[in-house]
Amino acid sequence: MDGVFHLVPSQILFGAKSPVQAEPDRFSEQKPDQGLLRVDLINKQYAGEPVLADIAFEIRRGEIVGIIGPNGAGKTTLLEVLAGILPAEASDLQWLGRPLPASRRREAMFYLPDGVRPYQDQPVTRVLSFFAGVYRRSADEITGMVNAVGLTPVLHKRVHSLSKGYGRRLLLALGLLTPQPVLLMDEPFDGFDLRQVRDILQLLRNDAGKGRTLVLAIHQLMDAERVCDRFILLADGRIRGVGTLHDLRARTGNPIGNLEDMFLALT
Amino acid sequence: MHSHETFHLRGAPFSPLLAKELWEVLAGRAFWTMLLLMCPLIGYSFFQAVSLYGESSAAVLQSPAMASALSPLDGVLVPTLGASYVAITLLFPFVAIRVLGQEKESGALRLLIQLPYRSSTLIVAKLVAVLVALLLSSIPAASALAVWRMLGGHLSAPETLNLLLGHLLYGLLVGAIALFAASVSESAATAAIVTLAFTIGSWVLDFTVAGHPGLLEWIARLSLTQVLRTFEQGLLSASLVVGIAATIGGFAALATIWLPPGVRFRKKLYCSVGSVLAVAVVLGLATQVRLAIDLTEDQRNSFAMADQTALAKLAEPLVVTVHLAPEDPRYADLQRNVLAKLERAMPNVSIRLADGRQNPRTNAGDDSYGEVEYAYGSRSDISRSSSPREILPLLYGLAGISSPAPASAGDFPGYPLVASGQVALFWFFCGLPVCIALAWWQSRRIPQTITMY
Repeated sequence: MDGVFHLVPSQILFGAKSPVQAEPDRFSEQKPDQGLLRVDLINKQYAGEPVLADIAFEIRRGEIVGIIGPNGAGKTTLLEVLAGILPAEASDLQWLGRPLPASRRREAMFYLPDGVRPYQDQPVTRVLSFFAGVYRRSADEITGMVNAVGLTPVLHKRVHSLSKGYGRRLLLALGLLTPQPVLLMDEPFDGFDLRQVRDILQLLRNDAGKGRTLVLAIHQLMDAERVCDRFILLADGRIRGVGTLHDLRARTGNPIGNLEDMFLALT
Repeated sequence: MHSHETFHLRGAPFSPLLAKELWEVLAGRAFWTMLLLMCPLIGYSFFQAVSLYGESSAAVLQSPAMASALSPLDGVLVPTLGASYVAITLLFPFVAIRVLGQEKESGALRLLIQLPYRSSTLIVAKLVAVLVALLLSSIPAASALAVWRMLGGHLSAPETLNLLLGHLLYGLLVGAIALFAASVSESAATAAIVTLAFTIGSWVLDFTVAGHPGLLEWIARLSLTQVLRTFEQGLLSASLVVGIAATIGGFAALATIWLPPGVRFRKKLYCSVGSVLAVAVVLGLATQVRLAIDLTEDQRNSFAMADQTALAKLAEPLVVTVHLAPEDPRYADLQRNVLAKLERAMPNVSIRLADGRQNPRTNAGDDSYGEVEYAYGSRSDISRSSSPREILPLLYGLAGISSPAPASAGDFPGYPLVASGQVALFWFFCGLPVCIALAWWQSRRIPQTITMY
């Protein structure tokens, strides 16, 4: 059944209960001329060895940004420092022009780690209930999410019995249920076949189209090239290039090269 | 449509978080396995206690004057709940650790800490789940009390509830330690070792340093098993309850501090030192609270009512100087029969050992060894007795008042019961485990709809 998205009526998912919907509290002012998130400086060391050095870039609202790099480049570390769940020697971020300390990052961003299989003894319905309850999602929103992500066939299975693909879908569903304006995802296409990757790409595009900003750490360059608006090329813990494919082509002097050519040229 | 404004922490409902924690603790095999193991453990202890109590009662029937020595608190409740204590000490840590350790090992903690809850809220929810697991794990002990009543046994509500409160506080303390251990450890196995170091380490303290004077005596007081002793004696001590509550709060605070992975180690360390100091201050203040209520039906921890009333009126300071080594059995007798009761009955009592280094063997030639000096106001007297019958008249003499007339209230009658616990064995080895297994099976059923909170 992998790769096929199913529609499921909301009354099957929720019984007769009426949905509860609530808007999140909002407080900060929006300044259209500024980037959404500006990373002024990130430095991170493990046992004295720098794994991220002099990281600085900007993320604009509604775009899909790919953090591109080989294994060990520091992509996951960068996402975790951004999300505030990993301490760093320097981690200076600005949100709409205002400092965003690590303790408040979760108000702006939600991070989906790679390889996490949460609450393995629980059925999928209960895990979805938990996240939907926390963020006061309505029945219609959850139904739409389950249909879009294609979780219907496994709704009543326990998390530990899910295949790798369905495990990724569950994690994706949890991420899409969160309301934060920026969603950070580590290797979102890992575990999906070609058809599934296309479906997930479309899903992410739709989410970005609704105004959400997506930051994806990807090591598969073809996937990244298809989905991302801009790229942050990372190697050995340092940024080697930032920009759209057009920007990178201009910088490398290769007007017809693909992302792989750009990456090899810059790293 | 996603807004570019941030999602605020305030207002996230607590119920989904609490429901998640409860499902997590009930989904674990550790909880149900512990519950099943507690059935025969508590059942056999109860059976033995009832059998011994029955044998003693049969002897009392030949000599009714000895009936007052038969109290269900000592004969049945304490030994039955003693088995529960063993299970809570050795098995409950694994249940409590799972509440946090499972999320750490699966990586779900990295999702959890991003949800719109403060770390303290997350720990409170987990502590509530631990409390619920603790209450559910008291089902075998509660059923033992019910069987005792069905056999015709007597239960005094105050002393029974007091004992249950003691076990509840002890279980919560073990749970809080387990949460702290899970918070600072990378794996559940490490957390289990840390927790058992506290619980089994307490037993080691009891066996090795208890009864020794000075620093060793102070260290022995840190043993977790000391928590239950006072409740088992039928005393409700305000300082003890406040102290245990503060310690539970302290471990919960430490768990909160060490939960978020995004905080630097040094900051966690500073916050931890602050929390430990705060708890130490509360514990220090708690020792100044002298309120202790004797809830036993036979009032074993108090003098006769008339003496209690008379002693409460002696407002001047009473200074007791004991010329005994702390490890001398006579000192233990004096402490239990007289000094501890005096401290609870009189408003101003101070007790000191004349020389903490005295030894019953080396001081054999010292004429003053064994004497206890009582100084009240400007007068003092000396006695070698450890019996209230001699000490109380001495005190009344020092205070210049006459001994009160004994009250006419009836003495404790005792509750002999010749009964067999055989029927309980069937319940604890068969009936109750089957009920628990059915409840386990029921808890494994998968909901067909998504719950809306």
